[in-house]
Amino acid sequence: MARIRLENIKKSFGKVQALNGISLDVRDKEFFVLFGPAGAGKTTILNCVAGICMPEEGVVKFNDEIVNLTDPAHRNVAMVFENYALYPHMTVYDNMAAALRSKLYREDEATIKERVQKAAKMMKMENLLERLPSQLSNGQKQRVAMGRALVRTPNVFLMDEPLAHLDAKLRNAMRTELKEMQANLGSTCIYVTHDFMEAMALGDRIAILNKGEIVQIGTGDEIYDLPCNEFVAQLMGDPQINIIPGVISESGDSYEFRFRIKDGEIAVPMPQDKNLFEKIRQAGFRQADMGLRPQHIKYSFTPEEGYFKSVVYNYESIGNKSVITADCGDYQLRMIAPNGLRIKIDQEIYVKLTVDHSMFFDPQTKEYFCRYNEEAIRAFVAEQEVK
Amino acid sequence: MAGLTLKHVYKRYENSGKKKKSKQLNPFAVNDLNLECGEGEFVALLGPSGCGKTTTLRMVAGLEDITQGEIYIGDRLANNLHPKDRNIGLAFEDYAMYPPLDVYGNVAFNLRAKGVDKAEIDRRVREIAPLMQIDDILDKMPVKLSGGQKQRVNIARAIIREPELLLMDEPLSHLDGKARQLMRIEIKRLIHKIQCTTVYVTHDQLEAMSLADKIAIINFGVLQQFGTPSEVYDDPVNEFVASFIGEPPMNILETTIIKSDGTFFFTFPDSNLKIAVPSRYYSVVSDGFKCKMGVRPMDVLIGGPDSKGTPEEIATFENLGDERRIGIHVGDMLLMLITEDEKRYRRGDIIKLEVREEKTHLFDIETGERIREKP
Repeated sequence: MARIRLENIKKSFGKVQALNGISLDVRDKEFFVLFGPAGAGKTTILNCVAGICMPEEGVVKFNDEIVNLTDPAHRNVAMVFENYALYPHMTVYDNMAAALRSKLYREDEATIKERVQKAAKMMKMENLLERLPSQLSNGQKQRVAMGRALVRTPNVFLMDEPLAHLDAKLRNAMRTELKEMQANLGSTCIYVTHDFMEAMALGDRIAILNKGEIVQIGTGDEIYDLPCNEFVAQLMGDPQINIIPGVISESGDSYEFRFRIKDGEIAVPMPQDKNLFEKIRQAGFRQADMGLRPQHIKYSFTPEEGYFKSVVYNYESIGNKSVITADCGDYQLRMIAPNGLRIKIDQEIYVKLTVDHSMFFDPQTKEYFCRYNEEAIRAFVAEQEVK
Repeated sequence: MAGLTLKHVYKRYENSGKKKKSKQLNPFAVNDLNLECGEGEFVALLGPSGCGKTTTLRMVAGLEDITQGEIYIGDRLANNLHPKDRNIGLAFEDYAMYPPLDVYGNVAFNLRAKGVDKAEIDRRVREIAPLMQIDDILDKMPVKLSGGQKQRVNIARAIIREPELLLMDEPLSHLDGKARQLMRIEIKRLIHKIQCTTVYVTHDQLEAMSLADKIAIINFGVLQQFGTPSEVYDDPVNEFVASFIGEPPMNILETTIIKSDGTFFFTFPDSNLKIAVPSRYYSVVSDGFKCKMGVRPMDVLIGGPDSKGTPEEIATFENLGDERRIGIHVGDMLLMLITEDEKRYRRGDIIKLEVREEKTHLFDIETGERIREKP
């Protein structure tokens, strides 16, 4: 296993700058996730590590060795692709053994048998070894593709959306299996996905990518609770975070957040937090976007103290919970509700923001500005990472 | 506007290609399907790929022959009606727009073909455009549009004919996660406004649950259950429905029921886990009874310090931000639970496991049919 480092990698395809100065340090035995929308450059990074793709600038290091000029075969990496890429004419056993029968990594048949069987056991597919790929379901094919990577002891496992083609039920099951497997194996793994649940569930750390650049690197907790900008905040969480434009202004010796609703404007007091106030003071009073996750908005169907009136734009049941969308004129508020409510579109609803869960962003640059209780959250995040 | 009724509808595709001469018949793609959609109702046809949901939709649209059975649109028997006489609006997965025409031209195309006069066409396009939020892109060409915009145009094209019946086949599957979430809301509001009877095909249970008034769950061409979202979620008729609806899916574990001190318990091979059987099932179970137990991950709980729950070791812990998911090994099966508890657990931690017993379901071990209490 190895530590993988990328330093200032640049790569372009024609006029398109696919990677624009990527630097990463993936620790030994780490499960590292590359996450971002389509076209962000995730797969290109993976290909640079594998050696399938030559960066125009920058250095790729395995441990302390520069591997830019090492060809893919000699880098000793194991890749798992979205579309499995199995040899159709070979049985599962032969597919898994193929790498160990190659010139470079040749092993004797007894060792191969032992390794294949060990990997097959780990992937729970001992009974499939004699089948051909065409006789397998998609989930089984993906297991074989994983198993084939597991028979070797590569420097790093590179996985490119391996679960994307599976149905929801299987994806859930495979995700938990993958996590267990990696914990047992203690291997370095770089994993590409566009599914935030996969990123959160699997990654020791996550790198968020957009348009060929790294936006933020951190643990799941860090990225969820302390996103560096609105883009990151909106990527994590389903339904996505609410962004409420407004103004922070002084009110006595405290501060309040004023924002527009459908008919008029209301103000909510900011939570008491010395550090938060200090930050606001330094920045001067200013416009801000408040970010508030759907689970932190309360609702009522009768007028209540501290609630403001709105109308239901939509109501969706999503299985174990439901989502109410309220119309606030220029923007909409999404909030989580239990199932089985009798809610009609366009009916009145009363809404309250629980501001002590809010985070604030600069409305121009969309960069993170501050949030309530930031120090405690930072301490909590740091503590999780040490573990 | 009209309702839609399917009576004992069958579909069998004829052998083609190499198999043409073979005497062996293909299995039924749709097998004895009965459905009733009321006027203005939104019905989702939900099932895995190949289950016959699209075939059903195509038969309703008239694009596919009916092997046997009857389809009524309103009171009219539609079996032998030409597609153009069925007065149906169609919106499919791929947008199939006319590339040389702008958005206005695409939306207006059908009315022009029918010879509706220009002023009337213009009135209808202008009426529908704000509804679909395409009023500012009417002069754009299809190549310039995003996936979400194309799908809006596609739906606008379907509803401008003021159809009696709107049929949609996976209209959101080409869109990415965020756009899909937004479009889902728009479709729901649109149907609420125009009050058109709608049949919507999808393989995504979330779409079906969030959009439909009623869901028809189909597997291997056979209707499994037809009910409201809360009926199929809370009261599934069999194991297939139970595990198809909900994310993450319902836990379904093989169990042996034992009796001790007059109380029945679910027990599991190679596990200490013991869950009381709800007393309403006492009339149908016995000591040593084998079946499957189903329970939703939301109904498995972590007990507090004084809990009498079974101590279990955490096998997997996933922090998803909004919620956390924990997996526990029960023999060689995995039991999932969802918690909004902020605590971060680790693999190997011991928690006390509690189950909302009244929320457990029993399924037959062979057929997967729900075992219900005797009335």
